[in-house]
Amino acid sequence: MENKIRFTLNFKTVEISASPLKRLLDVLREDFSLTGTKEGCGEGECGACSIIVDGELVNSCLYPVGRVEGKEVLTIEGFRSTPEFEVLRESFEEAGAVQCGFCTPGMIMAAEFLLRKYPHPTEEQIRKGISGNLCRCTGYDMIVKAIKLASERGDGLW
Amino acid sequence: MEFNISQSVRREDVPDKIAGIAKYIGDYKFKDMLYARTLRSTEARAIIKNIVFPKLPDGYCIVDKGDVPGRNRVKIIDYDMPFFADGVVNYIGEPIALVVGKDKRVIESILSQIRVEYQRIEPILSVEDGLNAEKPIFGDNNCFSDYTISKGDMVSAKRRAKFVYEGEYETGYQEQFYLEPQGMIGVYEEGKVSIYGSIQCPYYVKNAVEECLGFEPYRVRIVQTTTGGGFGGKEDYPSLIGGQVACAALKTKKPVCLIFERNEDIEVTTKRHPSKIRLKSYIDENYRVLGMEGDIVLDAGAYSGLSSVVLQRAMFASAGVYNIENLVVRGRAVATNKVVSGAFRGFGAPQAFFAIEMHMEHIARELGIDPFEFKLSNILRQGDRSTTGGLYRDRILLPEMVNRVIKMSSLEEKKKAFKEKRKIGKLNGIGLSMFFHGGGFTGSGERDHIKGRVRLVKDDKGYVEILVSNVEMGQGAGTTLRKIAAKTLEVPLSKIIFNNPDTDRVPDSGPTVASRTTVIVGKLVQEASEKLKERWSEDRVEVEVQYKYPEGFYWDNDRFEGDAYTSYSWGVNAVEVEVDPTTCEVKINGVWAVFDIGSAIDERIVKGQIDGGIVQGLGYASIEVMEDRSGKIMQRKSTDYTIPTSMDVPEIKSELMCEPYGGGPFGAKALGELTLVGAAPAYALAIEDALGVKINKIPVRPEHLMEVVQNGK
Amino acid sequence: MVKVYRPSNLKEALEIISSEKCTLFAGGTDLMVKGKSWSGLEPSFDRPVVFISDLDELRKIKINEFFLTIGGACTFTRIIDNSQIPDFIKEAFIMIASPGIRNMATIGGNICNSSPAGDCLPLLYAMDASVVLESIYGRREVNIEDFILGPGKNVIGWNEILTEVRIPTKNFKIRAYRKVGTRKSTALSKVSFAGLAEIEGEELKDIRFAFGAVGPTVVRSRRIEKKIVEMVSEKKLEVGEIKKMYGSIIKPIDDQRSTANYRREVCLRFVENFLMSCKWR
Repeated sequence: MENKIRFTLNFKTVEISASPLKRLLDVLREDFSLTGTKEGCGEGECGACSIIVDGELVNSCLYPVGRVEGKEVLTIEGFRSTPEFEVLRESFEEAGAVQCGFCTPGMIMAAEFLLRKYPHPTEEQIRKGISGNLCRCTGYDMIVKAIKLASERGDGLW
Repeated sequence: MEFNISQSVRREDVPDKIAGIAKYIGDYKFKDMLYARTLRSTEARAIIKNIVFPKLPDGYCIVDKGDVPGRNRVKIIDYDMPFFADGVVNYIGEPIALVVGKDKRVIESILSQIRVEYQRIEPILSVEDGLNAEKPIFGDNNCFSDYTISKGDMVSAKRRAKFVYEGEYETGYQEQFYLEPQGMIGVYEEGKVSIYGSIQCPYYVKNAVEECLGFEPYRVRIVQTTTGGGFGGKEDYPSLIGGQVACAALKTKKPVCLIFERNEDIEVTTKRHPSKIRLKSYIDENYRVLGMEGDIVLDAGAYSGLSSVVLQRAMFASAGVYNIENLVVRGRAVATNKVVSGAFRGFGAPQAFFAIEMHMEHIARELGIDPFEFKLSNILRQGDRSTTGGLYRDRILLPEMVNRVIKMSSLEEKKKAFKEKRKIGKLNGIGLSMFFHGGGFTGSGERDHIKGRVRLVKDDKGYVEILVSNVEMGQGAGTTLRKIAAKTLEVPLSKIIFNNPDTDRVPDSGPTVASRTTVIVGKLVQEASEKLKERWSEDRVEVEVQYKYPEGFYWDNDRFEGDAYTSYSWGVNAVEVEVDPTTCEVKINGVWAVFDIGSAIDERIVKGQIDGGIVQGLGYASIEVMEDRSGKIMQRKSTDYTIPTSMDVPEIKSELMCEPYGGGPFGAKALGELTLVGAAPAYALAIEDALGVKINKIPVRPEHLMEVVQNGK
Repeated sequence: MVKVYRPSNLKEALEIISSEKCTLFAGGTDLMVKGKSWSGLEPSFDRPVVFISDLDELRKIKINEFFLTIGGACTFTRIIDNSQIPDFIKEAFIMIASPGIRNMATIGGNICNSSPAGDCLPLLYAMDASVVLESIYGRREVNIEDFILGPGKNVIGWNEILTEVRIPTKNFKIRAYRKVGTRKSTALSKVSFAGLAEIEGEELKDIRFAFGAVGPTVVRSRRIEKKIVEMVSEKKLEVGEIKKMYGSIIKPIDDQRSTANYRREVCLRFVENFLMSCKWR
C-alpha cells in the first residue's frame, strides 16, 4: 500500500509516494539520493543514521516514513548549508574528530541536537549527548573536544 | 617547503566525510545494478547432500561453486577456503551460494525457499577437541600451523633456576566492528571485471579474483571506495567476497552489489583469534628470569586464513619486553568448526602481551617482590636478543617511558591512596603494562612476499601524484604519505595528490596492514621523492622504487631465526579503574600512555591512532564479550556485541618519546597496531590491584569477578 | 504490504482497531527492529499498522497530589524533560538506550512490549503503577503487575490502546534505582532494580523491591515486603533471611548478556545494601 506523504525535507516541501512503513533512512538514501545519512546497523544501536525530525534527534533506521507527514526533516545535506554546520565542520577538522568518517554525519547531527539543547555543554553532557553514536576509530576524545570547541567558537549561534 | 613533519595539517579526506559527500560502497548506484544475498550454512560441519532451489523468476540466478571458472579457493596464504562451499561446510555462516537479482524482495523470497540437505558430521567446537581430533578438519594433526621457536639452553636454565612459576592465560574473540559493514560491487565490462569495495588490500583482492576467474591480470581491476574502518577486518575477508561478486558479475554481465547487514557481518566475518597461552618461567635467586617455556594455542576456526602469521606474531612476542635468554615456545593454530579467525589490529600480539604481562606480575606477587622492580630488572635493553635471536639495535626507552607514565598518572600516590580507600570499601586500582610492536611484515616478508613498489608521477604543472596500493581507511595514510612526499620534495602539500587506489593505476606497494604504511611504504615514498627531486626540472616525470631489505639484518624463515622485525615501537600504558563493590562493574577512571613510535609524521593523526587503539584495547579487555555455543556465536547482534560508547571511556592522556628508526621516513616507526596492544593487560592489572584477585582471562566480565569474590568469601 | 492508518485523534484510532486486528505503532523502536528486513526493504508487519505516536490525547503529563499520569505515547525524553516529574522517577528513563532512541521510544510502547528487561518496569512495579486501557466501549485500569503476563505477553485487548500510565505520587524517603547494563549507554539490562522505603521516625511504614531481567516478568513480592516491615517493627530484621527469601523467588537464566548466578547475586546485594542503608537500624 503506497501513500502520498508530504513533509519538509531540508527546508523544502516534498511529497513522495511510498509505503508508510518504509524506513525513512531508505527513503532518504534511495528516493532522494541523500546518501550522507549512513546505515551502520539498522537496529538503532550505532547512530550513523541520525537525523533531526521536528527538532528531535532520531535514528532514521527505526523511523517509518509515514510518521514524517507534516514534519520537518533535517539531514546532513540540509544542515551543511547552515552557519552552525560551518562551525562544527571547522571544529571537527581542527580537533581531529574524523577518521573513517562513517559515523561522522550522524555524529554531527547528534552534536547539533546537543548544542541546541545545551549551547555550552560540559564534558559529561557531551559524552551523554553522543552516547548513541558509535565510533570505532577515534576513542571519542577528539570528538568530545571538537564539540567543546564548536560550542566556544559558535558562541551565540545555538 | 619548510615545515616540521610532526606538526599537524588539514586532512584532505575529512571535509567531504563531515559533509556526508564522501562515497562509501553503499552510496554507489550503477546502472542496472543487481543485488546479491548469501545462502549460508546453518550447520557447523556437514556434507551437502543436495540443494533444492525453487523455480527462479526471469532475471534471477544462483551463483555457486559451479560458477567459479577458475580455482574455487581463496588465496590468502594457502588455498583452503572455497569461494562457495564445495560439497562440505565447515562453519555456521559459511557461504554456499549467492542469490542474485534486481528486487531485494524477490531475492529474499528465493532465499527462504532454498532447501539444503545436510549430512551432519560431528563438529570440532573447541581447541581441546581440535587437538585430539578423530576426524581432523585439516591435515593429520588438525593444526593449520605447529611451530616451535627456541634459543639458548633450556636445560641449563632449568638447572640454575630457584623458582618456577607456571600460569595459563586466555583471551576471547574480538570483532572489528568497523562502522561500515563489508561491501563489494562487481562490474563486468568488455571482458574485464572491476571490483569496487571497502578494502584494505587492493592487490590481495586482485590476486584472489584473478585465480577465482582464471583471468589474466589485465582483466581484473580493483578500486577502493572510501572505507569506513578496517582494523584488519578488511584485510582478508574482502578477497572472499570479491571473488563472489566477480563470479556473479561475470555470470550476469551486470553490476552486482553485495553489502553485508551488520548482524551478518558480526556473525560470519573474521575475528581476533581466541587464545590459550601457557607460560612457565624459571627464575634464579636474583629474580632474573633465566628461561621460559611457552605453549600458545590459537582457535583458528574452519580455514587457515592468516592464522600462521598471527601465530608467529604471538610467538615472537611471547617473552614481552623482557630479556629471557633461554626459551622454547610452541605455537599451534587449531582448526575448529567455527567462524574463521583472521586479522585484527595487533595480529597475535594482544594475546601474547596479555599473557606475559599478567605472568610477570603474578610471578612477582608469588615471590613477594615488587612487580615494577622485577619487571624493570628483566627488561630488554639495546644489544639484547629477541625471542628469535634478533638483535635489538636501537635504544629502548622503556625505563624512561615507565617513569613518565608513573608521573603522569601519579601512580605511586594513587597506589597508596587506593590502599587506604580499600579499607573503607572503595575498590580502586591502577595497572601498568609495557609492550612493543614490530613494524612491517615479519621476518623477510617485505622482501620475499610483498616486494612493495611505489610510483610517483609529476605532471607539467608541478603536481605530484602518489601511486600506491595502500588505502586511506580512516587512519590518515593519505595525509601521512603526502606529507612525506611534500617534505622530501620541498613543495607545498597542496601539490601532492593522493587518490583512493585503483589497481589499473597503482603499482603493488603491498597491503594496508602490519603497521607498515608509514614505516615501509612511507620510506619508499621518501626514496621515490628523492629520486624525483633530482629530475624535478623535467616536464613530466615518473619514478618508481622498490623495497630493499635493509643491510645487516638476517632472517631464516624455516627456523624462525634472526630479526623478526627491522624496527620496534614501544609503549607503556596505565589504566585506573574503580570496581563497584556491589555489582563488580568496572569503571575506567583514567588512562595514561607513552609511546615511542620514532618521530611522529603528524601529531594529530598519531593521537587519533592512540586514542582509538587504546579504546579498542579496553573494549577487548572488558565489555566486548563474544562466545560460541555449538559453533554458533552467541553475541551475534549489534545489541549484544557491545563496543565502547563515549560513556564507557574517559579522556586518554598520551605523550610521545622518540628513538628514531634510521630505516623509516624521517625516523618514523610503526604506530597503528601498537596502540591497541597494552590496554588489556593494564586494565586487568588495575582490576587485580583493586580487588586483590588474580586475573587470567579477558574480557574480564563482572560475572567472573563476582564468582571470584563469592568464592573468596 | 499491510495497510497503515494514521488516525488524527484517539477516537478515530479506537474505531479503527475495533473493526480489525491491528498492530499499534508508537515509538516503533522495538517493532522496527523485530520486523527488520534486509536493508532497503520495508520492515515486515503481519497486521495493519496504526500510528499513534502523534495523538495529542496520549502525549499529556499531569500530576496532582494522588497521581502522576503519563500519556501512553509520551517519549522518554518528554518524561525526562518534564519539570514536574520527580527525579527518582526520571532516573529509570534516563538510563534507557541513547538520546535518539529516547526521543522516539514511548512509555506505553515499553510497557506493551512487556520485555522483562524493560528498563522502566521495575520502578513502575515498585510504585504500584497502573495502566489505563481504552476501547470504544470504555476504559479500564489494570495494575501493572496484572497487565504483564510474560515476555511479550500482556492482557491488552485487540480493541484497546494503553492511553495512560498512572503512578501514585506516594512519597518514599529512601529510593534506589539501579541498572546494570552491558555497557554504560545504549545497553540492554543484565539486571535492573528499584527499591523504595517509607520511614517515619524509627518506623518502617512501607518497603518495596522490584527486579528486572531476572525472570519472565519483573519480580516483586508483597509477601516478603510485608515480612520485612514485620521484622523491622519487632526489631528483628534478619537481612540474611530476607536475602534467602528473595533468592528463592529470583530465578534468572544464563544468556548472551549475563549469567544466572551474577544476576541473582547482584539482586540480593542490592537488597542487602538497601536494607543496610535504612535508618531504622
